[in-house]
Amino acid sequence: MSYLIVDHSQRVARLLALHGIELARHLRRLVRDDDAAQDLLQDTLLRAHRALTRLGSGANERAWLYRIATNAALNWLRDRARERRALEAHAREPADADGDAGSGFDAEDRAALWQRVAGLPQRQRVALTLRVADELEYPDIAARMGCTEAAARANVYQAVRRLRVEGLA
Amino acid sequence: MNAKRESGRAEERAVERIVLRTFANVTGRGGEPLRWTLMTDTPVGTLGLAASEAGLAQVSFVKNEDRFLAQLLDAYGERPLLHVPRALDDARHQLDRYFAGRHLDFDLEVDLSTVAGFSLKVLQATARIPAGRVLSYADVARRAGNARASRAAGNALHNNPVAIVVPCHRILRSDGSLGGYGGGLPIKEWLLEHEGARARALA
Repeated sequence: MSYLIVDHSQRVARLLALHGIELARHLRRLVRDDDAAQDLLQDTLLRAHRALTRLGSGANERAWLYRIATNAALNWLRDRARERRALEAHAREPADADGDAGSGFDAEDRAALWQRVAGLPQRQRVALTLRVADELEYPDIAARMGCTEAAARANVYQAVRRLRVEGLA
Repeated sequence: MNAKRESGRAEERAVERIVLRTFANVTGRGGEPLRWTLMTDTPVGTLGLAASEAGLAQVSFVKNEDRFLAQLLDAYGERPLLHVPRALDDARHQLDRYFAGRHLDFDLEVDLSTVAGFSLKVLQATARIPAGRVLSYADVARRAGNARASRAAGNALHNNPVAIVVPCHRILRSDGSLGGYGGGLPIKEWLLEHEGARARALA
């Protein structure tokens, strides 16, 4: 049992030593909150470790970790938007049922956007967040996703197009 | 989108804090962090660099990232390691200058805290040998305080964590032959020739 614990912490220490800085920067830019970024990084590493135990190390560890981290961050953003909406609805209740379209609208809008981003195919979702939240250039996006620059460009293009089509619908 | 973009430096500090706190939570360990990076495509292949706050702690000849990381985890496993590709600018710059032949001596703080006793004295004596000069294993053993310990001096040099910058390649056998080298003898020969020391051998 103690062997497993040692093994676990060593493997996580390795992932952290190799990818920690990049992943922390990515998460922090997505959620814009240091404490949340730390929780999500820890979560990402534990998920990765569990998957490693099952599957063994994948071909492109870096791209795979980016995927896990991006999904975790988008879920967090969605949950938080939902929470805020619930709080705001609760706060409005005693007042006039008509309510106002003030800050609640903004949060709802953003929640809807993240929901749609979260609904994108995985590679499009990661490519888009690297482009928009991390403000990376295409060669860097390609390096993190383990694909060609053209593929990275295509993924971002398709993501934006899909969001636009859904936005108009 | 970013009305007030924080400075790159502030962001890097915040990012490092996140990684360090995560390391402490996950491993239950702490300690002073080491920042590491690779320097690829040098005339002697890929170099792995690592530094603590105290100074440059590793310059190693490495095959790839994975190998260097394994080596670091082995040597510093208790301490958090931060992969900061753009870090260690000063060391990188001085190594570039060295390889270009513009400036063969280094002015860098070196962290030899993993080395102790006679080995440390050997490396300290070695660090004082200027480019273009060489010493024998017996010479450096004597300078470290024990003239008869040339075999121990050889071991200390073999385990030098800061290759090139602590110039263990400048130590030869008394007969002028190369002796050994952790990075392989062709690299030792290249470094000595680059410094113009080979022709002169043991002065």
